Amino acid sequence: EERRYRSASGGPIALRARQHSASCRELAVRCPRLQLRSLSAVTSAVWLAAYGLFVLSQNSMVLSAAIFITLIGLIIYLHFVKIDQESLLVIGSLGIQVTSSYASGKESTTFIEMGRVKDVVINEAIHMQKVIYYLCILLQDPGDPQGVSEVVPLFQSSKPRLDCLIEVYKSCQEILEQRKTAPPSN
Amino acid sequence: NSPAPLPERAIYGFALFLGSWFGFMLYLIWAYVPETWLFSLGLTYWPQKYWAVALPVYLLVAIGIGYILLFGLNMMSTAPLNSTHTITDNYAKKQQRKKFQEEAIPALRDIPISEVNRMFFLSEK
Repeated sequence: EERRYRSASGGPIALRARQHSASCRELAVRCPRLQLRSLSAVTSAVWLAAYGLFVLSQNSMVLSAAIFITLIGLIIYLHFVKIDQESLLVIGSLGIQVTSSYASGKESTTFIEMGRVKDVVINEAIHMQKVIYYLCILLQDPGDPQGVSEVVPLFQSSKPRLDCLIEVYKSCQEILEQRKTAPPSN
Repeated sequence: NSPAPLPERAIYGFALFLGSWFGFMLYLIWAYVPETWLFSLGLTYWPQKYWAVALPVYLLVAIGIGYILLFGLNMMSTAPLNSTHTITDNYAKKQQRKKFQEEAIPALRDIPISEVNRMFFLSEK
């Protein structure tokens, strides 16, 4: 079951929510794929600039350097910058796992144990001349349960809008509420 | 400390007005009158006339850079998304909770973000 939403910048994103068991949920947000027209626009702009430089300087190394730069730049972009899917796996009583998968197939994972998680909230902050809503995990120090020691923002690349964030928030809160009713086992 | 007009303020204002007119006339004389005429009067110790053009240009470029600098400083001092300054600050951490009294207006306090979220997003009926 995939629901379509919009990101903060207007692009289409899709949210997929799966319930594995009563206390385990996985929420994955899929970002829009790399568009062929933007890729060809950037490539032709770089190659036209290189050809202009070649006409001015009559040095053919400029052309081969431009091809090389375009290839290396595309590989670096796909491996380090372009995120395909961001997912959140909430396992009540164990912890929260945040996974980002890049377009080249690389996956980077962070796990936060439930003892350190204070709450999952929707916060609003100023980001690049805009005020955006974003979901974040509030972490607490084990010695100081009242204070917030760290803020971990989620879904940084897809930046879903408030309607998608409310769905994810409600899902997470249903699992986090079980922490209070069930006494901690450690 | 009111901004009302006083005799002293009128005198300061007039002195400033005369001083700025004198300074402007001196600048124009220095910039336009040829050096030989000034030397013949006996006034030889002037800065180079290059500065009559350079200083206004420096000032205008500094004002233009100042716009960009202010914009950049604002962006740099905005708290990043992962900082606790978007959630709380020193005053909110040290606030004391007053006791709840029946039929009295509750005391002003900084409501924690978890409570605000629950009220906004979970209690929709």
